[in-house]
Amino acid sequence: MSVTARLGGAALFVAAVAATAALVQFAVVLLVPVVAAHDAYARLAELGPPGTTAPLPRAGPDERRFAWGDPALAASFCRFDLSAGPMRVKAPVGRAGFASLSFHTRRGAIFYALTDRAATHGRIEAVIVTPAQLRVLVAHDDEDDPSQDLRVVSPTAQGFVIMRAFSELSSLYGAAADEVKAMACATEPPPP
Amino acid sequence: MVVKALAAGAIGLALGVAVSGSILADPPFGVVTIGAWRVAAKAGSLEADPYTRAALARSGEIPLALGEGLKLVARVDSAGRPLDRRCLYRVGTHTPAARYWTLSLTDADGYPVENAAGRYGFRSSEILREGDGGFSVYVSALAHSGNWLPVGHVQTFALALRLYDTPLAASAGGIEKSSVPTIERESCA
Repeated sequence: MSVTARLGGAALFVAAVAATAALVQFAVVLLVPVVAAHDAYARLAELGPPGTTAPLPRAGPDERRFAWGDPALAASFCRFDLSAGPMRVKAPVGRAGFASLSFHTRRGAIFYALTDRAATHGRIEAVIVTPAQLRVLVAHDDEDDPSQDLRVVSPTAQGFVIMRAFSELSSLYGAAADEVKAMACATEPPPP
Repeated sequence: MVVKALAAGAIGLALGVAVSGSILADPPFGVVTIGAWRVAAKAGSLEADPYTRAALARSGEIPLALGEGLKLVARVDSAGRPLDRRCLYRVGTHTPAARYWTLSLTDADGYPVENAAGRYGFRSSEILREGDGGFSVYVSALAHSGNWLPVGHVQTFALALRLYDTPLAASAGGIEKSSVPTIERESCA
């Protein structure tokens, strides 16, 4: 075997290794969100049933479920499943300090968010619907007296809502925690 | 020939898995660098790239929406040197505009680090400020006067700056380098 043939063989081998590695890492990256058994939704599922509000544990050295949590923020969540009907979320926001709602798909991506700047009468309120439910609701809207609901279309039937409240001081964390606990999530009857 | 092909396949597989692991620990795409800080503004959105999505699915992080705020993470100082627990850092003196901000210290995975003072971060609403409204946070393993953020007992750590309700959210790429806090290494043991 000549030197060139040997070199050619070695180059081919390296190229095969690199090509396989590139394919494998791309496949892993694409598959992780689909097969991840422990994504945010799954971690939330351990903390509360769908359709009810449950507090998120406060970020701290001993709480290792949700990376990059801020100990200054109190948070709560409710999971939704729109197959039984739209979900209405009401969150009171009466405190000094920032508060917000974020709406996430089953895979965790955010499809909508609201802050306390959008509050009316001291609360933020929204109805999460599927595209099909929205069509039916719009068709039934009274033209002279349209619904005042803020309708948010979820790309997935399942998902979750997070409410966050900022505590201006450590001693005010309890008040922020009380505020997020008061978020109400209720499934509405499916539109006719 | 077959043996060689199988060997190439096996090495490629192992290499691919190893590379995925390290990429997902700190995904390099969709990230903007501003001074010492890195921000993945679109991390939580429906338009996030596959690498960022996979990293989120794996870490269990619940990201902030753009309308809620931005999270900036620093793993290096303003000169680009990795943060070192043997050193004293001064972080300040101002932040980009936001209704509130917090500056906290985490381990490499984003969790607060146990320390005797029970101090994991500072809020804009509680921090001691200088006469001109600026602030300095001292990051070190040894106690320091003023706003001291203890490093605790970890070898590697990161700093997280969160800007809540900030007008910058829509254009993370447009944050001026001069508007973010600097991380100056003052001295090292």
